Amino acid sequence: MPLDPSRLSTLAYREDGDIATVRLLRSSINMRLVHELTAVCDHLEDHSSTRVVVFRGDQGRFCEGIDFADFRPDEPMDIHGFNKWEKLCRRVERLEKVTIGILEGAVVGGGVQLALVLDARILHPQATLQLNEVHLGFLPGMATYRLAKMIGMGHARRLVMRCPVVGAEEAVRLGLVDEARGDLDAALAETVAAFGPTHVVAVTLARRLLDESFEFGFEDALGHFLAAQHRAISQTAFLQTLRKEGGR
Amino acid sequence: MERARILAVGTSHPPDRYSQQDILDRFRVANPHVRDLFGASHIDGRYLVLPEADEQGRPTETQAQLLAKHRRWSLRLGAEAIEACLAKAGLQAADIDYLCCVSSTGFMLPGLTAMYVKHLGFRVDCHRVDILGMGCNAGLNGLNPTVSWAQANPGRNALMVCCEVNSALYVYDDTVNTGVVNSLFGDGCAAVLVRAHELDEPSFAPRVLGFQSHLIPEAWDAMMYIWDESQGKFSFQLARDVPYVLGLNADIPVRALLGRHGLKVRDIGHWLVHSGGKKVIDAIKYTVGITAHDVRHTTGVLRDMGNLGSGSFLFSFQRLLDERVVRRGDYAVMMTMGPGSTVETALLRW
Repeated sequence: MPLDPSRLSTLAYREDGDIATVRLLRSSINMRLVHELTAVCDHLEDHSSTRVVVFRGDQGRFCEGIDFADFRPDEPMDIHGFNKWEKLCRRVERLEKVTIGILEGAVVGGGVQLALVLDARILHPQATLQLNEVHLGFLPGMATYRLAKMIGMGHARRLVMRCPVVGAEEAVRLGLVDEARGDLDAALAETVAAFGPTHVVAVTLARRLLDESFEFGFEDALGHFLAAQHRAISQTAFLQTLRKEGGR
Repeated sequence: MERARILAVGTSHPPDRYSQQDILDRFRVANPHVRDLFGASHIDGRYLVLPEADEQGRPTETQAQLLAKHRRWSLRLGAEAIEACLAKAGLQAADIDYLCCVSSTGFMLPGLTAMYVKHLGFRVDCHRVDILGMGCNAGLNGLNPTVSWAQANPGRNALMVCCEVNSALYVYDDTVNTGVVNSLFGDGCAAVLVRAHELDEPSFAPRVLGFQSHLIPEAWDAMMYIWDESQGKFSFQLARDVPYVLGLNADIPVRALLGRHGLKVRDIGHWLVHSGGKKVIDAIKYTVGITAHDVRHTTGVLRDMGNLGSGSFLFSFQRLLDERVVRRGDYAVMMTMGPGSTVETALLRW
């Protein structure tokens, strides 16, 4: 069933042409938000013809991390909620859409984790990023896995183990975000345009091969590339390119 | 209607296992392209019944000897797989009411079912069907009527046996074409017990919810047997790009099958894909959108045993059961690909 946005309480969802926008209305992540984001993923996969999904926050922030109100310190701890969160992040990471994050305010913990699974990150110059989990005695999800691949092991160790607050300039320098800009809407429009006509199959196959580049040896990866390329060149997008570029 | 369940599976293979290097050495393969094929097959070893080599290092079997080998080893492998399957179900051959045998590696008349009834203790009034020459996909072409028969005859026992002695197809002419075939296929047999019975409800066995076929007529000659006059043997021909064509088409029956049951690819917990070869497995991963983990048993069976023809996906099924990760309510998709060209699928639920 298509999503009924009016039934969402932790999120706002809207579609404008090719672009879907998901706004996180809460400052922190609770299970309700995880369930609603999962429902949004269902909708995006099954019912939405949009090609781009923008994830952003509300009232000048993006997401300030986990909501500890869901936890009961007097009961045995349960890993289930963390598993749900990781499954959600993986789904966002593999959506057949281009995904873009608009990061504002103090982006902390789970907010950074979510930002890392997106295809592009735009940061407000006054915004900061921090993985604060280890200082609080737990772990920053699979950011330990993704961050090392994205910015290198040395920087990842520092960000994960010492939990520094990273400003916009450093975030750009590390490659943690794509750019820092005050005019977020202009930056978003330019980013969407930069993804070009968004051939969804080509974009998402390319993303998957990049994701897997640290996982497999060259021979396996070459086999994967050939299989993916055969699929890409069998799509109408490539056939149209051939017609335009003078293929016979 | 009570849905049929797959209650037990049993498998067998010949005793001798050969690495790719063993085979190159045994038959003194010199063609560098053929040697490369063996090296790039992603197969560590295969169970085969290999002949001695002559002074030139060539295998010595005639077509008549190959057919005799197929008959002899079909009986032995069939006996072992059937016994393993029936032992798990606590049944005897005499308890079986319907026997479906699937094979493409040697022409027989009478077929495998008659031979099994004669030698393995099945009743003479057992219903029989032989599915001959449908190739690697045929395990699902056989499971479909087996499931239908079981559902039409609640409480009675149906057995399907997929038996392939691929080493009875060995043609050696030092060309790349036979090199592809000779570097890929292994010998093996798998049997499954199918029954529709409400008393089986407490057993932890998957129900078969449906099947979906997809034939690709434009690739009808991409995989076929031809008579090789110079060798006096049947030879299996495999077109170069067919793995990718099959992969590209694999999406179509999967979406149709899942759509009919209101399911999405993300709802499927387990994938039991035919171990056709590295390329076709890769193509399916990137078309259907499933991961290396999803096809771990498919690649594992390929690595350890090669392409076992029609029973391959049942070896993956056996490995999945052995892992003990399946939970009640989980869905699985079975998928086999082969000549036609075709992609066959089935949906299971525990």
